[in-house]
Parts: sequence; structure tokens; C-alpha cells
Amino acid sequence: MEDLPPPPDAAGLSLDGSETYTIDPAENARLCRSTGVEPAADGTAHPIYYYIATQVGMGKTVAGLCAACDFDIDDGPMMVGSQASFTHLLRVGTPYRVRGSIVSLTRKRSRKLGVMDLLEYRLALVDENGEEALACTNTWALPRKELA
Amino acid sequence: MKVGDPLPTFTHDRVSPDAMRDWATFLRDDNPIHLDPAAVAALGLGDRVINQGPANLAYVINMLHTAFPSGTITALSTRFLGNVRAEDSVIAGGTITSLNADEAACDFELRVVDGEPALAGTATIALNQQVS
Repeated sequence: MEDLPPPPDAAGLSLDGSETYTIDPAENARLCRSTGVEPAADGTAHPIYYYIATQVGMGKTVAGLCAACDFDIDDGPMMVGSQASFTHLLRVGTPYRVRGSIVSLTRKRSRKLGVMDLLEYRLALVDENGEEALACTNTWALPRKELA
Repeated sequence: MKVGDPLPTFTHDRVSPDAMRDWATFLRDDNPIHLDPAAVAALGLGDRVINQGPANLAYVINMLHTAFPSGTITALSTRFLGNVRAEDSVIAGGTITSLNADEAACDFELRVVDGEPALAGTATIALNQQVS
């Protein structure tokens, strides 16, 4: 990597959300049906809201997250991985707050993508009692065409 | 049910561009590769819009719910391997890798029918409602 300039110093940047995120029951129903299932009748939300709620509720848009890494969203960021750990079921109608930060931004060479930065960020969903409902760590590849 | 058993598959026929527009709203993400075939072509990624990765993972979660109807997912680890495009049909499946009275673990995969894998990973499911 000696021949490549270092990636932007983004590690540690806060992704705490400024507003709560509430899973709307009607949206949850629409989402479930779009994937071929009916929504649960017990007030629990589809677990994929782990990803949606943290992404929407974090302190930056996806474009803003990319910009924090000096990357233009139009250059095509790619999701490469996501790990989630659930402590509580997600419920519709419950306000959640997002806490998180960028874990790392690492520059690499890839045979498939050329030069890219691997962005890893951790987000947690916290309920109004301060209890963590879930935590996730997502990884994106940011292709650096200008360095290829 | 025992270690090595395959999980019942979940099939989603013909991924819809209209659903991708809905998911763009759910995710507050208007990335044109999910909305505009011309944008997909401009990036050299084909001529059909590309499904959102979380939507692909949702099909896998539906498979897990069908396989463990009274269980609760406690952990997911996912690698996104390829694209699912408009009008593709996909099939989610998996295999049990460990099992005891309280918990099951499995590998999973989502594959385009007659095509490549779109994602793969592992899941842990609590079998006795330990998660509230």
C-alpha cells in the first residue's frame, strides 16, 4: 500500500442520530407484503428493520456518510457485509434512537474492483428506556476509480 | 430437525421494480441503480434495475421465520455477493449447523433462480423466546 495515498481519516466519526426513529405500522405492513409475507399480528416488526432503522435514524444520510469518506455516492458504493445482534424484538410504534460511529476506513487493492476503501461502521438501536435493542456493523466497498 | 438438515426454501418470484421504489422510500435512499435502468447501464451493470441488498436479506429472514415459526432471530452475519435484478426470481435456503434445546444455528444463502448466489451468511435463532 506504500504507493497509495492514505484514506481519509474518518474512523471515530460519530453517527449518533439527532431524532428518534419509529417503525410505522403501515410501512411495516407494506414492506412485509413486498417480500411475500404478511406482517406479524403481535406488534413486532420485520427484523430487516435492524438495517433500515439504523440507516435512516443515524446522524447522516447514505450520501453524507459517503461524503464523510470523501466519496461521491454517484460512484457506486457497494454493501459487502452486515452483522447484527438482537437483544430485543423490534416493535412498530416504538421510538428508537441510533448511536454509532465509523469504525474504520481501510484502503485496499482488489482484483475485481481495483483500489477501494472498505468502510466499516457500527450502529446501535436504543429504546426510550436506554436499553439497546440491537447492534449492527455494516461494511461497504467504496471503489476509488481515480486511484485505479 | 438435526444438524445437516436443509431448511425449507422460500421463493420470491419476479422481483418487482415497483417494490424497489417502495424500498427506496423505506431506506430513504434514492440511489438510481435501484430506480433507473439508464443509470445501471451507465455504470456497466446491465440493463435492469438492481434490488436493494436489505430486501434480499428480508427474503432470507422470511425463510428463517418459516423454518423456525416459534423461534427468534438473535444474530445474522451476511456477505453480499451479487446482484438481484428486476424480474429475477430468487430462492432462499439454508442448512442447520448446530442445534440444542435453546438455540439453532444455520448457514443460509439467497440465489437467483438459474443464476448466481446473491448473498450468504449465518444465523442464530433462539428457540424458546429468550428475546422479548
